Amino acid sequence: MQGESEPMEKLSFDGALKRLEDIVEQLESGQLTLEESLAVFEEGVKLSLYCQKELKKTDGKVHTLLKKLNGELELIELEI
Amino acid sequence: MQDYITVGMLNSYITRLLDHDSRLQDFWLKGEISGFRLYQQSGHMYFTLKDKESSVSCVMFKTKGQNLKFRPEDGMEVLLRGYVSVFGRQGKYQVYVQEMQPYGMGGLFLYLEKLKTRLAEEGYFAMERKKDIPRIVNRVGVVTSQDGAALRDILRVIKQRHPGVEVVIAHSSVQGTEAPRELAQGVQCLNEYGDVDVIIVGRGGGSLEDLMAFNSEELVYAIYNSCIPVISAVGHEVDFSLCDLAADLRAATPTQAAQYAVPEYCLLQRELESLTDRMTRFMIRNLSSREERLDRSMMKKIWKEPRLLLEKKDELLKDKVKRLKKAMDDKTNEEKHHLAMAAAGLDNLSPLRVMTRGYAILNKGERVIKDINEVNIGDELQADMSNGKLQVVIKCKEKVNRWKS
Repeated sequence: MQGESEPMEKLSFDGALKRLEDIVEQLESGQLTLEESLAVFEEGVKLSLYCQKELKKTDGKVHTLLKKLNGELELIELEI
Repeated sequence: MQDYITVGMLNSYITRLLDHDSRLQDFWLKGEISGFRLYQQSGHMYFTLKDKESSVSCVMFKTKGQNLKFRPEDGMEVLLRGYVSVFGRQGKYQVYVQEMQPYGMGGLFLYLEKLKTRLAEEGYFAMERKKDIPRIVNRVGVVTSQDGAALRDILRVIKQRHPGVEVVIAHSSVQGTEAPRELAQGVQCLNEYGDVDVIIVGRGGGSLEDLMAFNSEELVYAIYNSCIPVISAVGHEVDFSLCDLAADLRAATPTQAAQYAVPEYCLLQRELESLTDRMTRFMIRNLSSREERLDRSMMKKIWKEPRLLLEKKDELLKDKVKRLKKAMDDKTNEEKHHLAMAAAGLDNLSPLRVMTRGYAILNKGERVIKDINEVNIGDELQADMSNGKLQVVIKCKEKVNRWKS
C-alpha cells in the first residue's frame, strides 16, 4: 500500500491533514481491497482525532522573548 | 626684516578661527560624492563632495562610518552632517562627516534600486528558496515594536481567529539607527529559540525614510537564513521593501500578516469535518455494497434448500449412469452381432464342415498329403473324416488332370 504513514506523534498538523486527504482520495478511488480500506480508514479516524485535538489546543498566551546577558533566551508572559 | 609667522602658526590660527565659528561646527551639507575611497585597514572613508562649481574634501572616520545604512558610491547624491576643520599637514580644510544619508527620495530610491539588484543577483530573493507557511500554527513569532500599533493589530486578529495560538514577541525598534540590527536580531533570536511555527516581521505604515530599517542588508540576510518561514508585514501598499522581497510571504499590513499566519479556526474545523465525513460515508457505502453483494448471494434458493442441490446432483448421476449403461449395452450388442457374422463366415470355411460333405484328409504320419507323388504304392496312410479315422493302404496311383479339360 502506498504512502506508509509516519508515527502520529511525529506528524505536524499539516502533515496529518495532508495524509487524511490522501486517505479519503484513496478510499474514494475504490481500488483498495476490503482489508486495505479498513486499515486506511482506521488510520484516517486516528488522524482526524489528532487534528481535532490539535485544533482545540487553547493556551493562547502572549510572551516576549528576552535575551539575557549570558546569552540565554527567556520567555516572559505579557499582560495584554 | 619683516615680521613673519610660521606655516604651523598660520594653520593653527585658521583652525582656531574655524573651530570657533559655531555655524561651521554642525551643519548639513548636500552634494555629489566623487573619488570615494574606503581604506580597508583603518576603515576610514575619504571622498570629495561636489556640486556644479565647487568641491570640498570630506573624511568619515570608521567610528561614524560603520553605522551607515548604505554603501556610498561615486555619483551618489548625499546629505551629510559634519563640521569643518583644518588638516594641518596639507594646509587644507575638510569636512569631518558625522552622519550621512542618500539625498532625497531620488537618492534613496536609486540606492534601494541598486541594493535590490545586487541582492537579487546574489539570490536572496529567489523564489525556489521560499518556504511554505504552515496551515496551522501553535506559536507565532513577531518581530516588531512592543508598543506599536502593528503588534496590537496582530494580537487582535490572532485572538479572533484562533484563541489557542500563542504569540512570542521579539521586541525591536522599527526605525532609527538601531532598528536594522534589532530587527535582524529578532529574527535570529526566534530561530535560536526555535519553538515558533512562523515569524511575522513588520510595522505599521510610514514614510520611505521611516521604513528604511526594513530595507537593510542585515535584515535581508537574517530572513534569508531563517529556518522558520517569515511573513513580511511592512505597512505600505505601493512599493516592495527588501524585507518583503526576502520574506517567504508578503503581507500588505500587519493585520493581513496575522490573517496569513493564523487561518480561520472554523474554516479549518469545517475542512477537517468534511474530510472525516467523506471518509466515513465512503466507508459505510463501501461496506454496505459488499453486504448487499453478500446478501444477494445468500438469497439464492440453493442456500435455503440445500437438499435441492443434492437431489439435482442425484438426478444428474442417475442420468449419467443410465446413459453409460445404454452405451455399454449398445456396444455389447453390436459386438455380438459382429461375432455371429464372423462365426458364420468361419463355419463355412471350416475343414470339418467340408468333411461332412464326404471329404477326408490324408495324413502320412504328421504330414498332410496334397500330391500323389508324396506317396508310394503300399504306403500306409491315415484318412481323417468328419466322424472318425481310417487306416488305408495305397494300392495304385494314377495321375489325373482335374482342372484342365
